[in-house]
Amino acid sequence: MRKTTLLFIALFLTLALLLAACGGGTTEPAANESAAEPTSDAAAEADCASADVFCVGLVTDVGEIDDKSFNQSAWEGVQKAGTDLGAKVEYIETGDAKDYATNIGLFANNSYDVIVTVGFALGEATAQAAATYPNINFIGVDQFQGEPVANLAGLIFPEDQAGFQAGALAAMLTKSNTIAAVLGTDLVPPVVAFKEGYENGARYINPDINIISTFHPGGLDVAFTDPEWGASTAKQAVDQGADVVFGAGGKTGNGALIEVAGVDGAYCIGVDSDQWETVPEAHACLVSSAMKLITPGVFDLIKLAKDGAFPAGNFVGATGLAPFHDFEAKISQEIKDKLAEIKAGLDDGSLSTGYNPGG
Amino acid sequence: MTTTTAPITKKGVRLDAPLFGRIAIVLLGIAALVYYFLQPQQATAVYASTLRQSTPLILGALCGLIGERTGIINIGIEGQMLLGAFVAFLANVYIGNLFIAVLAGVATGALLGLFLAWMSITLKMDQIIGGTVINIMALGLTSFFYVAGLTTKGKLQPIPLGPLADIPLFGPIFFNNAPITYLTIILVFFFQFALFRTVWGLRTRAVGEHPSAADTVGIRVNTMRYMNTTLAGCLSGLAGAYLTLEAVGSFERGMTNGRGFVALAVMIFGKWTPLGSWGAALLFGFATALQTQFQFLGLDFIPHQFIGMFPYVLTIVVLAGFVGRSRPPAAEGKVYDPE
Repeated sequence: MRKTTLLFIALFLTLALLLAACGGGTTEPAANESAAEPTSDAAAEADCASADVFCVGLVTDVGEIDDKSFNQSAWEGVQKAGTDLGAKVEYIETGDAKDYATNIGLFANNSYDVIVTVGFALGEATAQAAATYPNINFIGVDQFQGEPVANLAGLIFPEDQAGFQAGALAAMLTKSNTIAAVLGTDLVPPVVAFKEGYENGARYINPDINIISTFHPGGLDVAFTDPEWGASTAKQAVDQGADVVFGAGGKTGNGALIEVAGVDGAYCIGVDSDQWETVPEAHACLVSSAMKLITPGVFDLIKLAKDGAFPAGNFVGATGLAPFHDFEAKISQEIKDKLAEIKAGLDDGSLSTGYNPGG
Repeated sequence: MTTTTAPITKKGVRLDAPLFGRIAIVLLGIAALVYYFLQPQQATAVYASTLRQSTPLILGALCGLIGERTGIINIGIEGQMLLGAFVAFLANVYIGNLFIAVLAGVATGALLGLFLAWMSITLKMDQIIGGTVINIMALGLTSFFYVAGLTTKGKLQPIPLGPLADIPLFGPIFFNNAPITYLTIILVFFFQFALFRTVWGLRTRAVGEHPSAADTVGIRVNTMRYMNTTLAGCLSGLAGAYLTLEAVGSFERGMTNGRGFVALAVMIFGKWTPLGSWGAALLFGFATALQTQFQFLGLDFIPHQFIGMFPYVLTIVVLAGFVGRSRPPAAEGKVYDPE
């Protein structure tokens, strides 16, 4: 009797561990398990090592392929390459930050032609892999390249420009003359670029505007996955009179958007993708999103790689504001014209966001 | 003359804080009021945020202290909160009734509490390991079963309490909240009373301090422990429900982000008393709100990571002697075997 209960407990614990692994919460097997797929598929269907078969692999940052954010956007670019260019595509979800190199290595060892790594955090692992496998082209989304390497392209975005337009929009919408930003961590340069652009854009419209913005105090592991902090911080900002809130920081920012949706007359602005599609709870306040067009950027780079014109160094993708959706009618033509004028100015270089990380 | 000063330390756990603790509380209160008179809008926003940030912490701490007062260490608060949050979220998505969703979260916490009691009492397992099992299990189950894209039909909204909500300073902070926050404040006082002024409380503390003595006077030690650990689980489940149904309105993997562990620190800080823990939870919440406010005001002469560290540094400072000695119940973590 005693033994049976103990055996039951032991079994249960094993099960719990297994589930934890499958969920990709913390443990390593998550990566290896899903990585087993491309290996067998590749052997069965086509050999990536042969010149006729064009293979593209994608390694996510910690998170899921269907995160409705940058992992998903990048994967959609890869899938487009699959349909339009006839490439064989596969992905690995990274379960733990320790596994970046391992996961990239799994594709590299199977002679994939192009490997896409998604996120600033994978920069170091990607650069190392690019040095180890000179015959494979690497695309690093959000990875700024200091020194150009022939087989490594960093897909970067002028986040400050998207932020600038969002800030200008916020400054034109506010009635209280106070706007806020709830951000992920300043350890990630794109987040800082969004913030600086947002603040400068708002000041471009109204130099005397009151901007209150804050970064999550935690590290990379929690800064983007703390919706409760995002929500209460947004509330703290709204309580002080902010009536437009820019939520830029993954799930943390989403928490802020949902919170603002519950406030009468307040607006919120999303980030990265068109969050109208991804955070339906925020429809009541979501006027627009400061978008990074990751999908076309990834696709363009893959196409260039296939055509043998792979660019080394940095490849600058496009940014912009998402459609206004339900707010289309509520935004005056005057505001729309001003935004169009700003966008044109940023595009032709006559207008600067004033953000210069290099100095 | 020596006999009048000595007894305090002999008595062990005293409810009232030592003198400088009281002075500190009074000073904090004065500072809070001064801030309010200088910057009413800002101060109100910071204090409201403080209460909000402290809610899951105090619920977790109540769960921890009821368990430990009966002799069961609960390190699985984080897991109970997370699974409670998840089940409450699912109930909200599929049933759409917020009241039922809260109950589902509470029931989940209770079940995990029962599970912990079963592991530590019936199976005589190490309680730390039992709690860790719950944490790993909750992380695994929620990550595995969570499907991205589920959206809820709303969350619990604030209910202003009539004229009370119009009182300056206190009105917007205490009397304009959502249901779980009100309930939490009531629970703090309820358990403070129950633990020190009722038969249940006396028995609970007896079982946690000296189980064999309690047994001799006819208290069923292990039944008491089963009951209390399950009851405590309800509170963690409620904390989880607070996160998904009241604070955020949505679920994310690992969204508790260590709040269950901070709750343990809050409990120790509060010397295993509900009121003390509430004070500690408010202090933690205040530190978080304050560091946000520092950034809002553009006070960047201190790196904000330093301000983020503030609550933890404060804990160390306070534990190092500010609130006097913090002593756990004598029999916590020990299996009670009547034979």
